Amino acid sequence: MMRLVRAEWTKLFTTRVWIGLLLGAVALAVLSSVILTAFAGDPEVGIPAVGTPLYEQLALAGPSNSVVLMLVLGVIGTTQEYRHRTATPTFLATPQRGRVVAAKVLAYALVAVPFALVVTAVNYAVLAVYAGARGAVPGLTGDNLRVVLTAALALVIYTVIGVGLGALIRNQVGAIVGALVYLFVIEALIRQFIGGAYKWLPGGGLEALTATFEGPDLLEAWQGGVLLLGYGLVAAVLGTLLAVRRDIV
Amino acid sequence: MRLDGSSRARTREPAISSARTSSAPRPGAGTQRVEPVQVEISGLTKSFRNVRAVADLGFTVEPGTVTGFLGPNGAGKTTTLRMVLGLMQPDAGTATFNGRTYAELAEPLRTVGAVLETAFHPARSGRNHLRVYCRAAGFPVERADDVLAQVGLTDAGNRRAGGYSLGMRQRLALATALLGDPAVLVLDEPANGLDPEGIQWLRGFIRHLAHEQGRTVLVSSHLLSEVEQTVDRVVIVGAGQLVREGSMEQLRSGADGAGTVLVRSPEPVRLADALQADGIQVAVDGDALTVSGRTTAEIGARAFAAGVELHELRSKTSGLEEIYFQLTAGRGQFAAPSADPVAQEATR
Repeated sequence: MMRLVRAEWTKLFTTRVWIGLLLGAVALAVLSSVILTAFAGDPEVGIPAVGTPLYEQLALAGPSNSVVLMLVLGVIGTTQEYRHRTATPTFLATPQRGRVVAAKVLAYALVAVPFALVVTAVNYAVLAVYAGARGAVPGLTGDNLRVVLTAALALVIYTVIGVGLGALIRNQVGAIVGALVYLFVIEALIRQFIGGAYKWLPGGGLEALTATFEGPDLLEAWQGGVLLLGYGLVAAVLGTLLAVRRDIV
Repeated sequence: MRLDGSSRARTREPAISSARTSSAPRPGAGTQRVEPVQVEISGLTKSFRNVRAVADLGFTVEPGTVTGFLGPNGAGKTTTLRMVLGLMQPDAGTATFNGRTYAELAEPLRTVGAVLETAFHPARSGRNHLRVYCRAAGFPVERADDVLAQVGLTDAGNRRAGGYSLGMRQRLALATALLGDPAVLVLDEPANGLDPEGIQWLRGFIRHLAHEQGRTVLVSSHLLSEVEQTVDRVVIVGAGQLVREGSMEQLRSGADGAGTVLVRSPEPVRLADALQADGIQVAVDGDALTVSGRTTAEIGARAFAAGVELHELRSKTSGLEEIYFQLTAGRGQFAAPSADPVAQEATR
């Protein structure tokens, strides 16, 4: 299994997709934190002031805005095999297709850890400078630390979800567009109009995992994490079952 | 000859490391022989929706020979190869390597190398493409350099595969197949996109792999002329079914009844009656008769016995290409309905 994981890493790091996605993830996190900090304490916008626990936790949760890019990373990890027709040599080398999908889940989960660390570290560095200039550097203790860790964890889990989603929907563009439409349109509508169901959806799970303030009806943080991971693994298992049956043409 | 599959497949590991450490890296130098592996295909059947792509297809591929797998486009060649390699699930039938299916092979790349796709990730270099599969199969990554040299692609190894010509893609695909130093090579249309020099090289390379190193080679093509000089045996398929299996010599001689005899006579109907009375197949067209399955001597004797005057009597023993065409006409995917009514009838 380890050699299949290493093969996946070789695939990932011999093209430049990962650089773009990592930079994008960093940019998105930093951008959200910078905007938040810029408008902190502005009564018209309603963002709490720098130095308040609520502001700090919102800012430290900035990396969770990048989950969508990690999702794309995972989706590309599986769908590139079909898009570029490398599924043939891949499954010739490993006819046990379930092992290939399992190796991808493991490889991308492990890669997502340093990625999440980079996003988190850069975000914190920017906050330390900017928020520091505006009053107070957010501390890394108690609830603040919990927010940082859960946001990073969310990045890792969304990568796994992406791998599973890609295994399920082999069309790269379809999987990515579908995921974006779901996350930003369908789920937002459900959140708005069917509040009771929202907490069981991926977005509800993410919010439960990282949220610090009173929002809609949500699960406990750990439940949200388990729910998210469950979505990722269910997609991977379904994708595997389909991959075993589908012909590679 | 049947070999004991279970023990054979396992005893082949050292081949790779020895090939790697050998200082003379090129195929011409290597005279090491591999463990023989026989490929046995039996009763393979596959339908897509309601279209039958392959129907009860069976043949064997012997070690040390090059077998040509021929048929028009759409005859089911690629589908067959994909089933043999476990990429497609057959509706019925099996394909085994010394008794094991592809999925049952302990280390598939060490037993079978296949060229099916000439598609690669466009942004990944040829060398890195090969390294991916070195990692997946547990081979040392230096193996990638060996096979690049083997196919003459060393200089292009660090370039993005997206910039490769079709000929270079074919070479890279072949290099991928060679990674595990496999006993069996399955090549789907490997000459596509190669220039004349490349085709010449490929022919020599394939023959070397089979004849000097004892590998089992199955090469598909839709052109007989392309593989004519390379293959020892042919398996011809049409419309998903086996049309002919045998040596090139057998095919060439027309001994299997593929040849026909042309007869001209002022009394074609009487001659036809006489021949048909003996159960011989005859087609009459004006003063000409086309007779199949009999030699000129046999036909001459019957005409003489019947007292029919002959103006011409000659064997139409056609070229290899024509025999191949006769065998497969109307059996491809795009067969024109009006092209050859006789062959159309035969497929119905």
